[in-house]
Amino acid sequence: MRPGRAQIQQQIIFICADFDQLIATKHLNRCFILFALFAAGCGSNVTVDTPTIPSPHIDKLPMDVVLRIPDEFHNFVHEENVLGRETWSINLGSANAVFFEQLFGYMFDNVIVLGPDDDALEYTFDALIEPKIEGFEFSVPNQSKTDAFSVWIRYRMQIFDSAGNSAASWTVSAYGKSQKQGLGGSSSLQRAAVLAMRDAAALILLQMNKATKMAALADGPIDLSHFESSAMVREKPKERASPVGLFAIGGIDNATE
Amino acid sequence: MPLSKVVVVALTFALGGCVTASVENDRAETTGLLAGESVVVMAKSYHQGNETEADYIKCVEKALTRGSSSLNVIPNQQFIDNLFPWFEPRTAPADTKGLVALMGRPGVPAAVKSMGVRYIIWLDGGTERVSQGGSLSCAAGPGGGGCFGFAWWQDDADYEASIWDLSDSESAGTVTADYSGTSFLPALVVPIPLIARTQAKACNGLAKQLRSFISSTEAT
Repeated sequence: MRPGRAQIQQQIIFICADFDQLIATKHLNRCFILFALFAAGCGSNVTVDTPTIPSPHIDKLPMDVVLRIPDEFHNFVHEENVLGRETWSINLGSANAVFFEQLFGYMFDNVIVLGPDDDALEYTFDALIEPKIEGFEFSVPNQSKTDAFSVWIRYRMQIFDSAGNSAASWTVSAYGKSQKQGLGGSSSLQRAAVLAMRDAAALILLQMNKATKMAALADGPIDLSHFESSAMVREKPKERASPVGLFAIGGIDNATE
Repeated sequence: MPLSKVVVVALTFALGGCVTASVENDRAETTGLLAGESVVVMAKSYHQGNETEADYIKCVEKALTRGSSSLNVIPNQQFIDNLFPWFEPRTAPADTKGLVALMGRPGVPAAVKSMGVRYIIWLDGGTERVSQGGSLSCAAGPGGGGCFGFAWWQDDADYEASIWDLSDSESAGTVTADYSGTSFLPALVVPIPLIARTQAKACNGLAKQLRSFISSTEAT
């Protein structure tokens, strides 16, 4: 006869309660497997409220910028299975869309926000920015063997000039970490995600112009004449954009702007 | 309530594990707070591997506002938000050289002045379990349950507070708190936890020394 749920629970209590036995690997494994059976199907859904970026102490760039928000920024959900047992789902909703609208509103003199189907050519601007999420990962205490939830977000910022040429492509790697508080940890994961977005905001505010030289686009579209001779441009005339390709992980360059 | 239960509850609260403490300070310059001046307590960046617990920061913030030589404390999130993006984990100055550069940026000195912040206290360190042992078994059945055995564990709380004086962008000194506490859990049917509140004691000890360090006008 198969044991009932109550009997299995009692077995777990007896096997796992002994302090010495708990240290022994084989019993740890048994406990692990038994608890895994009960934990199967457990999971957490975390919804991230739209983060508010404080007004930054930086000078705005005197540029007219068009921001194209991709579809995924309005409804971004990421799921992760932890050890095949526990499913964590994080729903950023439209947090990314609001985040970038707010951020670029602080960063540039004028920002026009385009929908995914809007045509940028109907507007006059110095630069068009199209952010994308290239990667989203998180770790929970079970995985990292610490008390912390961590979130990594990798954004790619595609920048185009007023003629539609790609002027730069810059990767922003952001990181947020929050210690577990309470039993579930949902609020900690939520906070880690918000901290990662704030980290991205700080990096973009302080490094984007240095990394992409986009302020120069206020003087007009990029001069492609010196790219004409490059082999890459000759082979792929439609993709001659991307004269600047950058990847940034590190900290802030303290050099005076 | 039966007498035995009262005794158990009283013992639980009256007894605690053993905690040994060492608090030291290293003064680099004269300190002191004028009326209207405040301090802010910050954790060193997790980008630099710091693991100081959020609840420890809150505990120190709270403890600094208590006692006869209490200090005005600005909540650290308010300070970080008002100076965005300069005190984010990625961008916060790592040393006083970076602080000098930061205080030269437009808008930053005015924001600091408007909050009345004179000192930043940077906390580094954490509490970790360094050893544990013993044997404790518990069993439960339809007729009741109980535990038998003895377990113990030792926690070490090592924290360092670096105090930066924003009036001259210099380091005023450091205060270190090293606490070690051993907790015991004997069980004869009923477990009696004798918990050493290592982190809480390290919080109160460090805060007391910080209050004295900052309020004192003694010369170096």
